[in-house]
Amino acid sequence: MMINLRDKGAKVWDGWNRPTRTVFTLVVIAIVALLPFAATWGPTSFLNTPITSFENVLVYPVGMFVLMALGLNIVVGKSGLLDLGYVAFFAIGAYTMGILSTLYGWNTWEAMPFGILFAMLAGVLLGLPALRLRGDYLAIITLGFGEIIRIVALNLTVTGGTNGIPGIPNPPSIFGIKFDLMNPAHYFWIVVIMILLVIWMIRRFTVRRPGRAWEAIRQDEDVASLMGVNTLVYKLWSFVIGAAIGGAAGVLFASKVMVIAPQMFNFNVSVLILACVVFGGIGNIWGVAAGAVILAYLPERIRFISDARQLIFGLVLILMMNLRPDGLLPRKKREKIKEKGAQ
Amino acid sequence: MSEKVLELKNATIKFGGVTALNEVNFHVNKGEICALIGPNGAGKTTVFNVVTGVYPLTSGQIIFNGDDLAGKKKHQITKLGLGRTFQNVRLFGEMTALENVLTASDVHKKAGLVGNLFGTPRARREEKESRVRAYELLEFMGIAHRADQLGKNLPYGDQRRLEIARALGTEPKLIMLDEPAAGFNPAEKIELAQTIKKIRDAGYTVLLIEHDMSLIMGISDRVAVLDFGQKIADDVPSVVQKDPKVIEAYLGAPTDAS
Ligand SMILES: Nc1ncnc2c1ncn2[C@@H]1O[C@H](COP(=O)(O)OP(=O)(O)O)[C@@H](O)[C@H]1O
Ligand SMILES: [Mg+2]
Repeated sequence: MMINLRDKGAKVWDGWNRPTRTVFTLVVIAIVALLPFAATWGPTSFLNTPITSFENVLVYPVGMFVLMALGLNIVVGKSGLLDLGYVAFFAIGAYTMGILSTLYGWNTWEAMPFGILFAMLAGVLLGLPALRLRGDYLAIITLGFGEIIRIVALNLTVTGGTNGIPGIPNPPSIFGIKFDLMNPAHYFWIVVIMILLVIWMIRRFTVRRPGRAWEAIRQDEDVASLMGVNTLVYKLWSFVIGAAIGGAAGVLFASKVMVIAPQMFNFNVSVLILACVVFGGIGNIWGVAAGAVILAYLPERIRFISDARQLIFGLVLILMMNLRPDGLLPRKKREKIKEKGAQ
Repeated sequence: MSEKVLELKNATIKFGGVTALNEVNFHVNKGEICALIGPNGAGKTTVFNVVTGVYPLTSGQIIFNGDDLAGKKKHQITKLGLGRTFQNVRLFGEMTALENVLTASDVHKKAGLVGNLFGTPRARREEKESRVRAYELLEFMGIAHRADQLGKNLPYGDQRRLEIARALGTEPKLIMLDEPAAGFNPAEKIELAQTIKKIRDAGYTVLLIEHDMSLIMGISDRVAVLDFGQKIADDVPSVVQKDPKVIEAYLGAPTDAS
């Protein structure tokens, strides 16, 4: 017997009126914003991570993984396209930031739109040919693309080869909020804002034409096109939006860690982000976010057992996928119970 | 002379060694209910598939409202005004009935991804209007009480009705129904016949594949008969019914259990 968290949650939420929902949302956001202080506050100090400081863990991997998992979920969860090379867009964002800042002196906020733009362009270039294929072929092509981007970064001079790009500046302060090594919490807040924007965007899409088109494509691509959905365009859009989010994450990541190198963008990252999506519940943004938090945080928390760490991580994944094959919070079944009249 | 909505000229399609349609000349007039009949495997569903762009013709031509459909994509053909249902129900099972119809009605919307993200006035107006329209279509098909239920959870008959509602959602000039009465009992068939008449009277042109002769003869203006990919008859029901070739086709080959 499993508790059905998803339906319980949906029921409670449906029972609330607008002001209650707003208050609840604000409270949740406030609690999330206070998370960086959790490690130093008595009752929650058990959350502290042994090696990397808790606040830094919150930014990377936790926050960034949530952001990227939500982005990948648009591709994998919403329109059902298996992308095994998502790290490519993260890398493109990071290298855009690295190059524009060290060579041309741009700051993070100036580089951000370009990081997003280049990631989107890469999404179009990859998507146009690849999205005509289906299933396994798409998976293999995207996997190859992820590797190509890393290998290109490894071999170009402008990307610094194996050494990568050092000396990437931190973001300039906004409204007196400083971004430097001493204030990881500030980065976390930026990530939270980006996550909120992405959630807003996904929720908008879901209840309207783009969400319906993606859903139709995922369920039956042939019928979708016979019902008038321009499947190639909508698949491309989901791919490109996913890419944009990966690119944005990359820009911020580069300007936080200050040094980037090709090995940070290997296949493992794509797999981990995909694992977050599957673990949390493909297609359900709350599940995906929760999955990313757990899969990003857990290895950091148990870092003290060093070698056994990966083993435990693997066991948790296997156990979970056996107990809840659809993930922590499965895709929302959008049936409303209030049926009028019928039996 | 009546206006032709759809016209197949020498339409031929081969699947490997099988000639599913062989030099078929066939048309549908505006405002009529045209029936397409024939033994199992005669090529009826294939007609729907070539018209809606699922398969390209091996040779021949398909003209819809003056447009040659050759090389057009499936969604473009739908947008031109061809709606269809499927012999084996193919709803979006994980969407509600209303969303199924909405997805189809999206084809004529102007607001795309960006407009919907920022909720432009046009996007909101289109969304609101299409919700009203989709609900009307569900009411028209008598399944408005199912609006919020998932497609896969509907009873079989309502799934078939929803398929018709979804096809109407694309605002077709010609709606093509592939065995819409399959699996229906006699009472349901009579009701469906009424609905198809209502659809025609609402201004749509109907092309209907059906096995039940009494249903066909009761409502069709014209009946075309296919046998082994060839058209063997095309006339008003009373004439087709007595055509020796048609009788032979049906007696000579095992018919579908309808
Ligand atoms: N995609 C396909 N590939 C190979 N053969 C096909 C295909 N579609 C239809 N056929 C063949 O074409 C013939 C006509 O099929 P169909 O149009 O489905 O008949 P029906 O009149 O029963 O609807 C059959 O012999 C069928 O096997
Ligand atoms: Mg058939």
